[in-house]
Formats: sequence, C-alpha cells, structure tokens
Amino acid sequence: MSEYILELKGITKIFPGVKALNQVQFQLKPGEVHALMGENGAGKSTFIKVITGVHKAEEGEMYLNGQKVDFKGPRDAQAAGIAAVYQHPTSYPDLSVTENIFMNHEIKKHGMLQWKTMHQEAANLLAQLDADFAPTAEMGTLSVAQQQMVEIAKALSTNAKIIILDEPTAALTANESQKLYKIVDKLKEDGVSIIFISHRFEDMYRLASRVTVFRDSQYIGTYEVDEISNAELIKHMVGREINDLFPKPEVKLGEEVLRIENLSRTGFFKNVSLNVRAGEIVGLTGLVGAGRTEVVESVCGITKPDSGCVYLEGKALHIKNPTQAMKQGIILLPEDRQKAGLILSWGLGRNVTLPIISELGNRGICNEAKEREVAKKFLEEVDTKAVTIFDPASSLSGGNQQKVVVAKALAQDYMKVIIMDEPTKGVDVGAKAEIYQIMGELAKQGYAIIMISSEMPEILGMCDRIYIMCNGKVTGELSREEATQETILEFAMEKSKAKEEVK
Amino acid sequence: MAGKSGRTIDATVNTTWKNRIFSWEGMLLLLFFVINIFCRCISPNYTIINVLREMPKYLCEIFLLFPMAYILILGDIDISVGSTVCLSATMACITCNAGLPFPVVILVTLLTGMVCGMINGLILTKFTELPAMIVTLGTQIVFRGIAEIVLGSGGSVSLSNTDGFRAIAGKIGPFPYVFFIVIIAAVIFTLISTKTTFGRSLYAIGSNSKAAYYAGIKVQKIRFIVFTITGTMAGLAALFLTSALYGANTTTGSGFEMDAIAMAVFGGIATIGGKGKLLGGIISAFIIVCLRIGLGQINMNPQVILIILGTLLVCAVLIPNISGKLNIRKKKA
Repeated sequence: MSEYILELKGITKIFPGVKALNQVQFQLKPGEVHALMGENGAGKSTFIKVITGVHKAEEGEMYLNGQKVDFKGPRDAQAAGIAAVYQHPTSYPDLSVTENIFMNHEIKKHGMLQWKTMHQEAANLLAQLDADFAPTAEMGTLSVAQQQMVEIAKALSTNAKIIILDEPTAALTANESQKLYKIVDKLKEDGVSIIFISHRFEDMYRLASRVTVFRDSQYIGTYEVDEISNAELIKHMVGREINDLFPKPEVKLGEEVLRIENLSRTGFFKNVSLNVRAGEIVGLTGLVGAGRTEVVESVCGITKPDSGCVYLEGKALHIKNPTQAMKQGIILLPEDRQKAGLILSWGLGRNVTLPIISELGNRGICNEAKEREVAKKFLEEVDTKAVTIFDPASSLSGGNQQKVVVAKALAQDYMKVIIMDEPTKGVDVGAKAEIYQIMGELAKQGYAIIMISSEMPEILGMCDRIYIMCNGKVTGELSREEATQETILEFAMEKSKAKEEVK
Repeated sequence: MAGKSGRTIDATVNTTWKNRIFSWEGMLLLLFFVINIFCRCISPNYTIINVLREMPKYLCEIFLLFPMAYILILGDIDISVGSTVCLSATMACITCNAGLPFPVVILVTLLTGMVCGMINGLILTKFTELPAMIVTLGTQIVFRGIAEIVLGSGGSVSLSNTDGFRAIAGKIGPFPYVFFIVIIAAVIFTLISTKTTFGRSLYAIGSNSKAAYYAGIKVQKIRFIVFTITGTMAGLAALFLTSALYGANTTTGSGFEMDAIAMAVFGGIATIGGKGKLLGGIISAFIIVCLRIGLGQINMNPQVILIILGTLLVCAVLIPNISGKLNIRKKKA
C-alpha cells in the first residue's frame, strides 16, 4: 500500500495556444480533505478534469493506490472510484432524485429497472447525509444545497473512494455551508478522500488538513493548513502581496439619499425599513432566501410591493419598472451577471452604453463615435482587463465582467444609489480586492451604496452599517464597530416564526 | 483617463474591406451574381426587362421579410402573416367591390393587417410566458378562418372594378411601382436596424431580454410595436398581391410566412435572436426571387424548384456550422 491514494506527477495539458497545466503535481492521502486553491484560470478545473478522465493530459503520470492508471474517459474514472461534484449541479431538473442518483448506473434485473430497490437505496443514501427531502422529489424543486446533496449521494452510490468537490459552497448560504461541512466530516470518517476546490478561506480552514496552490497553470506548493497564514496563502495564490483586501476609505457621510419605509410584499418580505446616506456603504446580509434580493427588486420596480414607501432625497417615489428607477438614479447590479447584467455575445463597449444609447444619440439615431468614447472612458476607469472595447463580454473572467457591469452603472452619470447584489460571487481573490477598491472609490465620489452579500468577510470589511434579514424581515441593524461574525449570524438565524407572519 | 494600472483599452474601429467582402453578406452578394449569370446561361429569356416584368408577384413576399427579420432578431417568430395577408386581401376585394373609393380600400387593407398584428402583439406582451410559435399558430388559423367566412361558400372573390389596383400596378419605365416601394422599405428597415436606438434595442432583447430589461429597455413595448408593424406590412403585401391577382381566395398568402422566414435565415438572421443583418436577408430574398424566375422560365417543374430552394436553405444554415467546426479542428491540429 502506498502512502498516497492518488498521486499525479508532471501533468501537462495543452489547449490550442495555451498551456493549461504545466508540470503539475498533486498527492492525496487516504481519508484526508485536501484543498486546491488558486485564482480563476489557475488551472484547477482543468486539473480536476484530468483526474476524472474528461481531459487527457499530454504529459505526466497518474497513480491510484500506487498503481499507474490511464483513464480513457470519465467512465474509467468512475469505475476506479473517483467522482466529482460540480459547482453548478449538472442534473436533470424534471426527473426525480432517485433517477438523478442512479443515472447511468441504474439497478437492473433481467433488463428491468428495479424502482423499488433504487428508491430504497436512494433513501438510505439521503438518510446518511441527513437530507430533508424524499427520493421521489423532483430535482428542479430542490434548492441548490439540496441538489448538491443529491450529487454527493450520486457519488456515494458509485462507491466512490475519492470525491472531488468543485466550489461546493459558492452558491450556499452560511447555514447551508455548515451543513455541507458536516457532510464532508462524515465522508471523511467513512474513509473517503476528498479534494476540495474553493475561493472561500473559511471553507479551507474549517475542512482541509492540507492545501495545494496553483498559479498560472503551475504548481506552487502544498502546505499544512495549520502552518500557513492567510497573508502567505494569498501571496502564493496571487503572486504578489495584497496588503489590504478591504481598502475601505474614510468618507464623510452626506445627506440621506434613499429611505425605505415599511416595504412589504406578501410571501416575500414584510415591513422592511432601511436607509442609506451619500458616501455610505450599507450591507444587506442574511441567509439566501431571506428576501434580500426581493426587497431591492421591489425598490427598483422589477416587482411591485404591496405596501410601503420608497423615498429618494426625501421625495416619495412610485417606480413601476427598472427604467424609471434608473431615471431617478437608482440602479441594481444584479447577482446573475451573465443572465441579467450583461449581453455576453456583445462587445464590452456596447454593453456599457446600452442603458444610455438614447441619451448619447440624437432623436433615436445612435451616435456610435460618442458611444465608443464613453465606453472607453468608463472601462478604463474601472481598470478592465481587456484589449479593445469590441472584445465580447463572454471572453472576460468573472471579476472583469463585474467591472464592466460597474462601468455600465457609472456611465449613467445621474446615478445616486448603486445596489450591488453579491458583487464578488465567483470572483477570485485578486479581482475581489479590485472590486472592493472600486466600491470604496464610488463611496468617496458620494454614491450611496447598498451591498447584498452572503460573504461575511466582505460585509464586515467594507460596510459602514449592516442590516440583517431573516425570513423576510429585518432582524437587526449593526454599525461597523458593533458587527462581528457571531452577532450577524445570530440575527440571520432568528427563529423561523417570522416566516408564518409574512405568509 | 487611464486606469490605475495605466492600462488603456483600444476603441478604434478597423473594418477592412477584406472583412466586409468575406462576411456572410459579401458571400451572398457574390452568390447573387453567380445565380444571375447561371440563369442567363440556362434561359435566353432571362433579361432585365423580363425579370422586372415577372417580379411584382414575388416582391410581395419581400414586404414580409423586413418585419419578419425584426421578429427573428427579437428571438420571436410570427407564422400568422400568411393568414393576415389572406384576410387583408379579402377585405381589399370586398371593400373595392362594394364601390368604396380607392383610398378607403387602401386604408381598410392596411388597418386589417395592423389589427391582426396588434392582436398577436397584445397576447404576447400581456402573457409574456406564452411561446410566440404557438400563439401565432393559433391566430394563423383564426385569421384564415375569418377570411373564409367573409369569402363565403365560393371561397374566392374577384375584383369587379380593377381601376384602382391597375393604377398601383403601374410602372416607371420597366420598373414596377412595387419595386421602388420595396427598395424604399428595404433602406428604411435596414437603417432603423443599424443606426437607431430602436434597432439596437431589438438586438439587445434578442441577445438577452433580461439584461435588456435591467438596462431600462422597454422590452414589451418594443415587441408590441414590431408585431404591429408586421401586421401592417402584411396589409401592404396584400394590397400589391391583389393588384397582381385581381382577386383573393382561401389560399391567398399561404406559405408566405415560411418563405419570409426562409429568406431571413438564408440571409444569416438566426432564429435564436440577436444575430444577423437585414442586408443579408434582402440580398438572399433577391437571390431566391431571381432563381425562381430563372428556373420558371425554362419551364422547370414547380415542385422541383421547391426542392432546389429547400436544399439551398439547408445548405445555407449548414455552412456556418461546418466552417465553425473546421476552424476548431484547424486550431486543434
């Protein structure tokens, strides 16, 4: 028996024009949780795909239990006991949980599907994971966290000895993450080895015993989690030191800009009141599903609140659609950049100027020269990593796409309130710091900023004031000085009796 | 102002002639000339004068191409336009036979088309989750049904007084009036799609309607306008079709919607929305018209012409696909 259950040596993978992996190595001990970290584009995902047999490496060797293996495709990897759970569950939303779990390895007898056995087996697996849904439930009706459990159950059903979790907590709330941690602990006890990819440091500290860092397609090193500091790790990942991840400038707060009073929408949120002043960054946090996004959507006219008032600079507003909200100076940068924030097939420039084509143009005729000028100016202001303004938005990384969305908001120079919904979701450390910097600068320029976020560090690091929501109600308001991780969590998990009242 | 890192982003446009010639539209233009030379070779009667004489009845369909292109760019579809043409043509004949003055006849025809378009637009913008394909399939049946009721048991109507329609079927030199109107419409529709904020909005909605909505574009209003324009253009097509046929029957305009969609797709306008140019659609429309006239002149069986046109269409959608795959393979090698 070798020391490592899985060992890869000198792996090189070449895609047309780029070396996605360059002489990378990796060792996994039996029963350990091993974190794999690095910025977006560092080669983590490609590496995972080499392990699972999706990609074939040009060079390098892979050993499983000390024996050399050569996977021809994902099927070989599955047979060898390696399973991967991806960030966005790749499931069949219209099929049942059981069908999803046993997809491609159904239990058959004389060619007939054994539904009873499969349901039974699925129920057993789900019970192991403390799942709170039935195997007959339709996949599409489950939350992302629950769908992930199904994926893990699927991995277990193939008797996987090595499970790879690719950014499992990215779409989860703090609470759901805790649950996932417990599942990982349990798997570890059962002797399963786990490779864990995440951008969240909390995940790594909580779960992993060792961490391997990749940067620019290269292996940087493997470290004991207990022996490495946060700053050192970031330095390894980014290749430079980030002295201040949260560059929160001191800003003298101005007048109150936006005030929401007793805003309610049946079934979503009730009696929500909050305010934000010029130059202030206000955090709106809580668990996913607490109604945070729904509140700001109502403020921006995407949905219609049942009662309550929104005041901008003391004047009551009656906003019916996002166009009116923007005319008044309130803009929402939606959470889902790719679906709601950007037109991915379009060039960056056109994306930036889309909301202001009428203002730049003359009587309905576009002024393209002016558009290009404006787009260039704002894209440079937020320091977008792009060559020309004609690059398609789909060619940028998550962090840079977010910058384009910000540039789009800035180009509308009458904006007063900028609402950012999960601005750093799916963004790597280096780009995160840049986005925080931009936020700080916006505050300095006198914008009132509302940031919705589930990530504790950025809420604590960037916000002047924090509102916490739970089950559709604001359960707490904390100043920068009062706020700690514990107090926020306490408010965020306030018992669910509030839910009944809303409905 | 440059960014903090001093990085600058290039904003200069450089469209070279090479890019223009090797675009889809450039290729289509080339094909247009090839088809014309081909037709001239196979048919001694294929002269400019003859082509222009035969053109009017085909040109009516091009009126439908323009709004259909807009609808496809929006990511929608409207398969009721053929029936709208039928209903409008029926109304044109009925009102004309009733002895109403010709300007009133024109007005009634256009209004009929416009109302049909507005009905489609209203249903689709009030109930946004409904698929346009199914809704317009429904109205396609309804509009033709109404036309059949109006036409009565005979199922057809002939003009008793052709003066007015004879007037609009007139010519300037060898060019029929309808030819000029098609050209004017082509220029207007093309300029709107490329130069105006309305045109930009069409592409934005077709590429990502949610992002367009968040960017403050009045998505449903624009959809309503486009469907209304489509109906109105169908009315216009009906007017000129009646002037060529001097009557209407239950099959008038059937298949026009598919012809319009085919011309647009052949011209590079993708049915998924947000892609393609009007110019391509217009060139491909003339390619199809010329090919039909040319093959018709050598007395080719109309069914065979259909097979040729169908094959051409499938090839047209295959070419970008295949060349894309070849490019990928080339990169891999």
